[in-house]
Amino acid sequence: MQHRHLLPNEIDLLVDHESGFGVQPLREHVRDCPDCRARLALAERVVGSLAEVPLFAPRVGMADRIMSRVPVFVPWHVAARDAVVQWVPTSGPARALAAALVAVVGSIVTGVTLWVATRGDMLATVTGLVGEEARSAATNAAGDVVVALFGNQVVSAVQQVGPLGIAFAAGGFLVASVATVLGLRLIAASSRARS
Amino acid sequence: MPPIPVLDLANLPDADVVALAQKGREPAYRELIRRYERPVFSLVYRMVRDRELAEDLSQDTFVKVLTHIEKYRSEFKFSSWLFKIANNVAIDHLRRRQLDTISMEGSPHATTSDLAEATSFELATQDETPLQELEARELGSEIERAISQLRPEYRACILLRHVEDKSYEEIAATLDLPLGTVKTYIHRARHELRKLLEHVREGFGPVTEEPA
Repeated sequence: MQHRHLLPNEIDLLVDHESGFGVQPLREHVRDCPDCRARLALAERVVGSLAEVPLFAPRVGMADRIMSRVPVFVPWHVAARDAVVQWVPTSGPARALAAALVAVVGSIVTGVTLWVATRGDMLATVTGLVGEEARSAATNAAGDVVVALFGNQVVSAVQQVGPLGIAFAAGGFLVASVATVLGLRLIAASSRARS
Repeated sequence: MPPIPVLDLANLPDADVVALAQKGREPAYRELIRRYERPVFSLVYRMVRDRELAEDLSQDTFVKVLTHIEKYRSEFKFSSWLFKIANNVAIDHLRRRQLDTISMEGSPHATTSDLAEATSFELATQDETPLQELEARELGSEIERAISQLRPEYRACILLRHVEDKSYEEIAATLDLPLGTVKTYIHRARHELRKLLEHVREGFGPVTEEPA
């Protein structure tokens, strides 16, 4: 048995139930020393009372208050998977039927795509026809708009003059627009100056 | 968002719940809050000793953690990360407001009795609001008073050790302190608590003077 009282850090070793080298002599000392035994008992009671302090509860609804400030982050791959998952039926038979349907549609689409791809000349003809139709429709629609705005006579006059006439008309339109804007600003400025 | 397969979140370990939160599952966020709202609030409340403020700081803690949940690395314990943020939030606040020196008996740095009185808490006054009354009741026990008189660093260490049952290593990781410093803080905190509580004979017993 050691003949001096335990130091505070040695008391802590016993409070923490340490089992390392050198702790056994401390225990033996405590067994025989009423003074150190009382100090160890106090230390253990303090630690025991600390372990028993209650947890406090915040006001109800803390989770809602927190979640109202937290943007829930959904990674793109999870969002993509969720988007797919929401279309998958839940029951087994419905799932099998959906899988069969997807397989049939997928096979048909793949087959048609392969068939078209192997016929290059036909693809080029069809593409050319569709392009021509689209261009013609766009030209007609633009012509209709111009006729509606300026009338048939103006359009035919411009067509007679040719590209030079079109450029002249566009320039006149631009000059008239700028003059209108400047005139309106001048009127507004003089009106503000009077008031 | 489509319904997710029903999981018993309450029985999952923290790491799994965090993994679900990282996938954007809101119920997982709520489960983390449910698990830790009381421990975090209690720690912060004992640090700042103001219920309303503790609620605000606890909420800030959770908002910080959950907003950056994708940055969480699973090699650390989630609770350690959470308590680290909570402690930092509380300590930052105390530093800003210089409340770290305030105790029930007034600031230990007070040089005059007037200053000490000005910085002391009244446990019950006629002007107390119900909230203050609740605080006084909650924090008025001998052990709570003793905890409140510890330095904030000691307080955080001793609360994590004995209230949250963390190991010394976990506390060191949580508070970003060397292991030796944590041991020293806890040792000093216990020593101060023993001194502060030695007058309370019932429940704590008589004390003999400790050798230096």
